[in-house]
Amino acid sequence: MKKLGIGLCLSAMLFTSVVWAAEPPPKKETPPDLYEGTPDWYRAVYKDNVGLSEGSGPFKDYFKPQMLDMYWQPNRHYEPMKNLDHSIFIEKERRDLCVTCHEEATPGVVRDWRSSGHKNPKSTAYLSGKTAEIEKRTGRILDEVHCFDCHADTKKKQIRMPTGEVCGECHRPQFDDFLREREVGRPNHIQSWEANTIVPWYAEAARRGYLYGQHGCDLCHSGAEKCDVCHTRHKFSAAEGRQPEACITCHMGPDHPDAESYGESKHGVIYHKEEEHFDFTRPLSEVRPGKDYRTPTCQFCHMYEKHGRFIHNPVMKGIWRMGTVPPKNLEYTSSLKDYPYGIKIIADKIDIYSEENIAKRSYWLEVCAKCHSDRFADTYLKSLDEFMFQAHKLADQAQKVVEDLIADGYLYPSAADRDPYPLSDGIEKMLSPAFLGEPIYNAFKTLKGKFPVVGPILGVYGMFLQQQDNPSNIENMYNRLWFWYKLQGYKGTAHAQQDVSWWWGQAPMMMEFTKIQSEAVRLRREGRIEKVSLTK
Amino acid sequence: MKPKVLLDKVSLWSATAVVSVALMLSIAPTNVKAELKVPTEITELGKDTYKKYCSPCHGEEGGGNGPLARSMLPKPRDFTRGAYKFRTTPSGSLPTDEDIYRTISFGVPNSTMIPWDILTEEQRLSVIPVLKSFSEAFEFRKPDPPVEVGLRVRPTEKCIAQGKKIYEEKLECWKCHGIEGRGDGPSAAEQEDDFGFPIKPFDFTTGKFKGGNSPQDVYLRFTTGLNGTPMPSFAKELTDEERWCLTYYVMSLIKPEDDNHK
Repeated sequence: MKKLGIGLCLSAMLFTSVVWAAEPPPKKETPPDLYEGTPDWYRAVYKDNVGLSEGSGPFKDYFKPQMLDMYWQPNRHYEPMKNLDHSIFIEKERRDLCVTCHEEATPGVVRDWRSSGHKNPKSTAYLSGKTAEIEKRTGRILDEVHCFDCHADTKKKQIRMPTGEVCGECHRPQFDDFLREREVGRPNHIQSWEANTIVPWYAEAARRGYLYGQHGCDLCHSGAEKCDVCHTRHKFSAAEGRQPEACITCHMGPDHPDAESYGESKHGVIYHKEEEHFDFTRPLSEVRPGKDYRTPTCQFCHMYEKHGRFIHNPVMKGIWRMGTVPPKNLEYTSSLKDYPYGIKIIADKIDIYSEENIAKRSYWLEVCAKCHSDRFADTYLKSLDEFMFQAHKLADQAQKVVEDLIADGYLYPSAADRDPYPLSDGIEKMLSPAFLGEPIYNAFKTLKGKFPVVGPILGVYGMFLQQQDNPSNIENMYNRLWFWYKLQGYKGTAHAQQDVSWWWGQAPMMMEFTKIQSEAVRLRREGRIEKVSLTK
Repeated sequence: MKPKVLLDKVSLWSATAVVSVALMLSIAPTNVKAELKVPTEITELGKDTYKKYCSPCHGEEGGGNGPLARSMLPKPRDFTRGAYKFRTTPSGSLPTDEDIYRTISFGVPNSTMIPWDILTEEQRLSVIPVLKSFSEAFEFRKPDPPVEVGLRVRPTEKCIAQGKKIYEEKLECWKCHGIEGRGDGPSAAEQEDDFGFPIKPFDFTTGKFKGGNSPQDVYLRFTTGLNGTPMPSFAKELTDEERWCLTYYVMSLIKPEDDNHK
């Protein structure tokens, strides 16, 4: 009996050890790839490095990039410096010399790094824990993350400008979260370079000699590949990325006055009054509302995913998608009914009450409920919806006025007598019916861009480019109405800033609409007078 | 005295002697190997090495105006005047080949001149004739023989106190280098080098002496001066002993943990 017992014990041990040994080795991760899942043609025009020899996107052959784009979009455009060949330092892995030289050449960079978690990844209990996770995942011992680790391309023996893919080698969960921005589609950060260069007016402006006028576009729309947009070099502080100021260099101004609307709202004002009491060292998931934060920050609301979980990107819960895309839930009088110019670079019309959006709404309510009653928060969100329905309706009416004017032949000068739509030749060549929709593609093919394009999204070109008589005043008035004032009203209402909602939003929307009506009446009158005088 | 005790004493003294010699050797001035084979003519290797690794800062013609020089402070050395800071030769003299080799190999701390020990010895030696070719001075003159390093004294308290007196009263070094040796004396801001660039008096507290960290290196700076800069030689004003004491005093000002250096 005893022997049997020992035998059983032994075989049990043997069995467990077999099971132990049979446990599969940890799954090997594929290398981080910001363009994962995108088609080959897309990678070829956005990821493959061409230095500064050609542009990005489908219209790459129509322009050369701005010189600074090598820093903004390193995968595609970075060129290593020619003045000093750094290959010897990389070949011999002389890490000490990076610091020796750059301590004097660029001391700010080195000091930043010295005070960062990269220099001392085990300096606090929290950092040690996080570093241990990374060590486990990567199989590396990380006592210091050095210049060499991020900037040395050991294959090409060149200095590289790190992209999110380099960061993602260690910070994989954050990288993967960021990658999920593609799931929800534009507007988002990961496709911001696409947004910048896929629009035909960018290349057209370059062709007309205005490339460097688009400096402002490039600075914000460079958020696609680099983490230092929010976590600035060379501290790469998580705490910094949690502060509202991390967002506002881009999120401000006429098309999305987030800095202004949040900053001057009660939320923002309390933040500014009491910012020294905010504990930004705490991860968002551990923030205790009312204690660590007395009011929410951009990150706290927008990076809250659902059910108490936060995600490392701020776009997952977006419903109104920046306020440009018309909702399905309205009866339209203008061509917005078919949304003809909403080409597929941006979401289809939004169904505010889709199953997905109703779920998202409940996630928003989960955030609000940290401080507000469910009923108050729900009422607030419903009011925002109503504001947006009204605003889109107003835009629809204004668009109808412009479209009727065009249909009746009173647009002056007519589309036939002015410059064509930006880069029409390129659109016809590089884009497909599937991309533009059959009717619009055919219009480009047959009319060569000599037709009016009004309303979201393609109609906004008039804000980015000046061409001979194109667009006319009334078309740009309408652009201001739907792309500026509607969006300003949206942000003012969403962020609870009354003045932005009214005086930057609703009020100018109405004033602009009156101006559009008045301009239409004037054009019709002049057209009629012209007809009569010509027939005499 | 019992033989055993005597033996112990002897072994103690011999051990001390060995350690002292070892210590002396290890902290000995940054001597360069005696037999350096410096090419007498410019070679292809020298040209290539200079072009690839030196000219980005020092310029193709050695004028200190390479493409990277523009944003650098201090500015890279302009070789056309033959004015070399770190020498073993007297004030105003050209440097020896060994002096140049030493600066290339050890670099200049607190500047972007890294220690180029990443290059082979042959490469480093090969650029010496190239550097010399940039200045006519090497055609007409020869470097004076290295200065004699006087008998070294011990860094006693008395000696350091003497050094302090020289620093604060006799030479008034503090006027440029500051009372605490931070390079922030009242005249610091007015200093210019021979090339017309503002030059910051050395901050002794960093402890990263540009011409080397051994007492002999520092002693040499007081003896030879730094050509091309406002820092003169004190070979005449100070005795050997005084220069050693001043050396020990300025080395006592080092504060490696000071926050300013990080």
